[in-house]
Amino acid sequence: MSLIPLEHGIALAGLLFAIGLVGVMTRRNIVFVLMSLEIMLNSAGLAFVVAGAHHASAEGQVMFLMILTLAAAEVAVGLGLIIQLYRRFKTTDIEVLSALKG
Amino acid sequence: MDYDNAARDTINAFAPSVSWEELLWLLPHEILGATIVFAMLAIAVRRHFFVTTVITTLGLIAAALAASMQFSHLVQGAPSALVTPLFLIDAFAVFFVIVLCLGALALAILGFGYFARLDDAREEFQLLLLLATLGAVTLASSAHFVSVVIGLEMLSMALYGMIAYPIHSKVGAEHSLEAAFKYLVLSAVASATMLFGMALIYSQTGALEVVGSANSMLGYASPLALVGVMLVFVGIAFKLSLFPFHLWTPDVYEGAPLPSVALLATLGKVAVGAFFLRFLIHSHLLLNESVTLVLALLAVASILAGNVLALRQTNLKRLLAYSSIAHMGYWVVALLSGVGLGSQNMAASAAAFYLLTYAALSLGAFACLSIASSSESEAGVLSDYRGLFWRSPWLALALSVMMFGLAGIPLTAGFIAKFQVFFAAVESSQWGLLAALVLGSAIGLFYYLRVIYQMLQPAGEEGRTLRDLGLESVGSVITITLVVLFVLWAGILPEPLLVLIAALFG
Repeated sequence: MSLIPLEHGIALAGLLFAIGLVGVMTRRNIVFVLMSLEIMLNSAGLAFVVAGAHHASAEGQVMFLMILTLAAAEVAVGLGLIIQLYRRFKTTDIEVLSALKG
Repeated sequence: MDYDNAARDTINAFAPSVSWEELLWLLPHEILGATIVFAMLAIAVRRHFFVTTVITTLGLIAAALAASMQFSHLVQGAPSALVTPLFLIDAFAVFFVIVLCLGALALAILGFGYFARLDDAREEFQLLLLLATLGAVTLASSAHFVSVVIGLEMLSMALYGMIAYPIHSKVGAEHSLEAAFKYLVLSAVASATMLFGMALIYSQTGALEVVGSANSMLGYASPLALVGVMLVFVGIAFKLSLFPFHLWTPDVYEGAPLPSVALLATLGKVAVGAFFLRFLIHSHLLLNESVTLVLALLAVASILAGNVLALRQTNLKRLLAYSSIAHMGYWVVALLSGVGLGSQNMAASAAAFYLLTYAALSLGAFACLSIASSSESEAGVLSDYRGLFWRSPWLALALSVMMFGLAGIPLTAGFIAKFQVFFAAVESSQWGLLAALVLGSAIGLFYYLRVIYQMLQPAGEEGRTLRDLGLESVGSVITITLVVLFVLWAGILPEPLLVLIAALFG
């Protein structure tokens, strides 16, 4: 079995992580912010799987399952808050959430 | 082929090794978990805030007692136990389990008084509090990245709910939704960053253990692993709100209800701090110069930024937020004075003592604020406390003790803690950090004393009436009294506590 080199996998994960981070910082729509967060979390998961394959150990995949669960929980809470936001302001733009400043 | 073997090895490493004896070591965690289920069922049968609070407090007391029994065994020389690869139960972990459970107990009682008149479901607050405590306890006793992630996320997830708790309330709490969103997004970014860092470390060392030899300094020699360590630091710096990652702190503190802020400031920081301390002790990372440099920059920037920005605040919650940034900076100075190096004992005890003191002081300060407020109207602005000494001398006195403690004035625990950090930094010749520590403390004096000055002013007409203390506040009053007594006791007779904490690292 020919493995993908560790560096390539890590580089791909790093790229995904960067895309996610840029998305979180630049997107104004809260749904897209949550999607970008998902990309960030899954890039960490991908890095774990790649590293696990490199060390021929199952721990990386165990960790990936943990991250999957975590991301699902995170989004569940996030979507709940989005519904509250939409009920109150009739928008999903995060600009409405800027009353607190300092 | 070898893949299957590896999988089987992993399964074998986890599955058959859990014995009854090992389960006994996790008793505090189990009690907390059982209390959560029991409280949830009790809510399902009948909603009653007082009953839920009683169940919560009893569960927390039971967990604290179980942990105290373990602690007395461990201090008398019982060997520490690695329960599955995930938890290391030693005197250090159990000490923090006790501290976290007692802190949560105080918060449950404060939350009862604060939310007593909320026009929405109130019982789930205690449920979320228990869940956060379980997360914090897991984090403090974790020995493996998996349990670190589980603990940290349990703590954060519960906090999202607690910050947004009064969201349906018709009166007050207008900013809790914004605070919850800010915390959720930034906390998730921090978690993802930390996980990516862990993945990089794992890719280089092949080990997920925090303790033990596999992930010691030698394994972190490669540049990629070092990048991973830095990313993990970013996640931790966010949770501790150190300088460049502190942006969420004032907004979340201002927008969230007071008991939730108190939880964020005490349990959240103690649990993450305990994990960070253990990580540094076991990994010997401070031998690496780039790691020390990064931490030193974080510490100096946090001390200066926190103290300078606190000067301009007129909202007491924001003031305490900036003060927490500065205090975490002082705490990192203690870490840099040699945790994980030759003189680890002194620096580590200074750090542990500081963490405990800071938690007590900020718990006390937020408790005073929350007893003056209720979920309908929060007394957050500094002018609300104008003339408090004439209106409510007892409360003003308690808040003054907390402010003196946070400023580090003698006869309070804050002085002893800062003195310990100072001494450890002198011992390890960290002159630059010492200068920041002294300068920061001098600036800090000004805004802490300004709060006391406000309370001494003659009460004007504009001074808002604080909450009338009814029957629901009896527990809160007792809690504040105990915290004040603890702060004074640890400030005047610190010997027993210092000896106890030094024994954790023996």
